[in-house]
Amino acid sequence: MAERKEIARREETRPEARRRARAMVPPVDVYETDEGVILVADMPGVGPETLDVRVEDNVLYLRGEIAEVPGEEVRPDYVEVRGREYFRAFTLGPEFDQEKIEATVKHGVLRLFIPKLETEKPRKIEIKVAG
Amino acid sequence: MAINWTWEWDPFREFERLQEELDRLFEWVSPFRTLRGEEVYPRINVGETENEVLVYVFAPGMDPAKIDLSLEGNLLSISGERQAEEALGVEEVRPERYVRRERFSGRFSRVISLPESVDPSEVSAEYKNGIIVVRIAKKAERRGRKIEVKAA
Repeated sequence: MAERKEIARREETRPEARRRARAMVPPVDVYETDEGVILVADMPGVGPETLDVRVEDNVLYLRGEIAEVPGEEVRPDYVEVRGREYFRAFTLGPEFDQEKIEATVKHGVLRLFIPKLETEKPRKIEIKVAG
Repeated sequence: MAINWTWEWDPFREFERLQEELDRLFEWVSPFRTLRGEEVYPRINVGETENEVLVYVFAPGMDPAKIDLSLEGNLLSISGERQAEEALGVEEVRPERYVRRERFSGRFSRVISLPESVDPSEVSAEYKNGIIVVRIAKKAERRGRKIEVKAA
């Protein structure tokens, strides 16, 4: 089981998945349950309308854009966050049901639930008492 | 055309290039971390218009009620607490089930000094999409004035 948890271990580094210049890398937490994997990413400024989550060729792409940026009348004095886009990609292992990924975003935090295929979920084996 | 938060003249540009090179060297370097690897939470941008100073506090996943903001003179203090695991939405969090753990968790406190021109009596703050936007008026005498050019 452990060696197949690709989402956990391997971040996508194929050229087409490399982060675009200046895109920010959101920090993520990945947590496994019996049912699947929960992935949480901090993307401050991103709302439902500027979030793009997709799976192509077993790669999960997270993209987001800061929805509201200061207008031209605002002159920067001090800047820690540069850029407007977030980007990160992960390889999905074969044990996940890509059709059923659920995504929500609240207060700039993306939460994804990536369910495991039924066949991959741990099964409880009932122990019958002989006698 | 929205402003792109970069400077015409930027003392950090060199650092940024270095950062990009580090990105290529290592698997990845998060913009939310310093080069020494510790996380910065929340990140802050400051800008100003003719009449106000604007502070953008990048504090995703907070309960606005748990953010303490205070302004004394031109010093803005931001403190609070975020439990990163709350976002998982699971009943009981078992640490051994984490596969990756990068998001900031715990108490934070930051103080930033703002331009001297702020008027602490006129402040408002709004939390949207995980960014707190604090607007502080400038003192009346420090506001930019348009100078009319009269025809001779």
